[in-house]
Amino acid sequence: MKNEIVLEVKNLKTHFISKKGIAKAVDGIDFVLRRGETLGIVGESGCGKSMTSLSILRLIPSPPGKIVDGEILLNGKDLVKMSNEELRKIRGNQISMIFQEPMTSLNPVIPVGEQIAEALRLHQGLSKRQAWDKSVEMIGLVGIPSPEKRAKQEPFQLSGGMRQRIMIAMALACTPEVLIADEPTTALDVTIQAQILEIMKDLQKKIGMGIIFITHDLGVVAEMCDQVGVMYAGQIVEHQNSATLFKNPLHPYTQGLIGSLPKLYEDQEELQIIEGTVPSPYDYPDGCRFAERCPFAQKMCIEKQPELIQYDEDMKVRCWKYTNQWQEESSSREMVTQ
Amino acid sequence: MFLFILKRLAQIVPVILGVTLVVFLIMQMVPGDSAVILAGEGASKETVEELRENLGLNKPLHEQYLSYIGNVFQGDFGNSLKNNQPVLDEILIRLPITMELAFFSILITIVLGLIAGIISAIRPYSFSDIGVMVVALLGISLPSFWLGLLLMYVFSIKLQWLPVAGWDSAAHIILPAITLGAGGAAIVARMTRSSMLEVVGQDYVRTARAKGLKEHVIIYKHALRNALIPVITVVGLQFGSLLGGTVLVESVFAINGIGRMIVDAIRTRDIPMVQGGVLIASLVFVFVNLLVDIMYRVFNKRIDLN
Repeated sequence: MKNEIVLEVKNLKTHFISKKGIAKAVDGIDFVLRRGETLGIVGESGCGKSMTSLSILRLIPSPPGKIVDGEILLNGKDLVKMSNEELRKIRGNQISMIFQEPMTSLNPVIPVGEQIAEALRLHQGLSKRQAWDKSVEMIGLVGIPSPEKRAKQEPFQLSGGMRQRIMIAMALACTPEVLIADEPTTALDVTIQAQILEIMKDLQKKIGMGIIFITHDLGVVAEMCDQVGVMYAGQIVEHQNSATLFKNPLHPYTQGLIGSLPKLYEDQEELQIIEGTVPSPYDYPDGCRFAERCPFAQKMCIEKQPELIQYDEDMKVRCWKYTNQWQEESSSREMVTQ
Repeated sequence: MFLFILKRLAQIVPVILGVTLVVFLIMQMVPGDSAVILAGEGASKETVEELRENLGLNKPLHEQYLSYIGNVFQGDFGNSLKNNQPVLDEILIRLPITMELAFFSILITIVLGLIAGIISAIRPYSFSDIGVMVVALLGISLPSFWLGLLLMYVFSIKLQWLPVAGWDSAAHIILPAITLGAGGAAIVARMTRSSMLEVVGQDYVRTARAKGLKEHVIIYKHALRNALIPVITVVGLQFGSLLGGTVLVESVFAINGIGRMIVDAIRTRDIPMVQGGVLIASLVFVFVNLLVDIMYRVFNKRIDLN
């Protein structure tokens, strides 16, 4: 049961088409998510993490956004080709989402209990009473004290941490197979962050859903994820087990990211940085998208884009350094210098 | 909540003082002498003087005002200068007519305005949106007396579907109510549209969509409830101009309401009548505003009324 694939994304491309041109926000993403597993997607702002997550439930603002290519398979069924009505039955039921902003993601004029209950009535056909009871139960389950009282309150009466718990309760009410968590702890302070992550892990054990965890916080990745995909400029540049990723990052970008973390037991004058900026999604270079910022970049990196290659079991990387061509080129370079 | 309502009701006292004072002073400044007008053309000087004496019009202004305001607080609005009947009786006969007209007009403002605004907002920049907004622009631009005459010409005279004027049956309400409500409906439509468009882009609407809710639930439950908050304020303000509009519309359609009563009273310099009419209109406006504030709180519990 546990290793069964629930969600598979193949060559997903989400582009934004406007007068300015075409922004390739998501440009050929592949990953699989297994039951009970947590897949982290990390990357800096604007790399396409959130757009990837919104694309899965087809929630990208359209127009201008459009899924131009690829498949999103939930238990083998393609969500991209589904009718809106079919997809509607999956949203909030088999796949749920938690958003980054707990302050604005709940409806300000509807009691939070009702906001949870409405999905239960819709997807599980519960009566008003049953849905309300279940909603109160869920609010208790995410660790909010006196859930009966809280359920009747409106979001403005709850703190940020409580609102995010409500979002989690809402997302998990229908026991989904996949939970997409888009930076669920970014807007919260650190102690609340830890509590929220604990609750998510706990409920994952109970419900057994697969989680796609979008974040830019590498600490959270280490804490939460089994697998990690590192995104850069709309593409996955590296995919590894989180256990090995921190010890052995392959891609120069990942190395840069991990290198930029402050180290607890070393005396550091300055934190490491990655020089340069992310290329504009309207105008990606022909070669490797990281080449401009990469300390190892060679002529071939600027000329041609590398593929995502299998480096080892459970290790994929999009970098020329790990290809045979690189070996050949570097030996020829060495010959020239000799 | 209770305290809030009590506070607001107490505010009525200064409103009465202010309104009566302003109307009283304006009526004094308006050219024309009530006594002369009442006595009629060709009346002798003595008759006019006697009339003036009897009506207390030769007393100093502040005395006239103070005795009037004292009586008002005792529920006596004075007698009409024209027929010596109590002003309050006249008002009580006419007020229900005006209220009925105002009620149906505001109903048209709200219902028509909301429907048009939602149609526009669901598909912004589509043909239906542009069409509705052009009509709304017309609705705002057309003066009500002109719209009233136009409707009367088309529906009463040409098509003969509806009565021309008067206030006898339900059919009589339709044209005046549309005339009076149209401008407000247009404003409400534009407000609803912009408010809806803003709300539809909010995060919580995306959350509702991510929950798999049906589109009409998203629009009417999640978006509209939030979009209505600014619309309620506009409806409240519209009610004020609507009361002003009754003056014109009642005259155009020959309806014996408060508005027409005030116009007639101004024409004959019947000061107590004018003051009574304006005072009642102001009181109605104050109550409607109180109602709007309470509604505001019902739709948006974040508002602390105190």
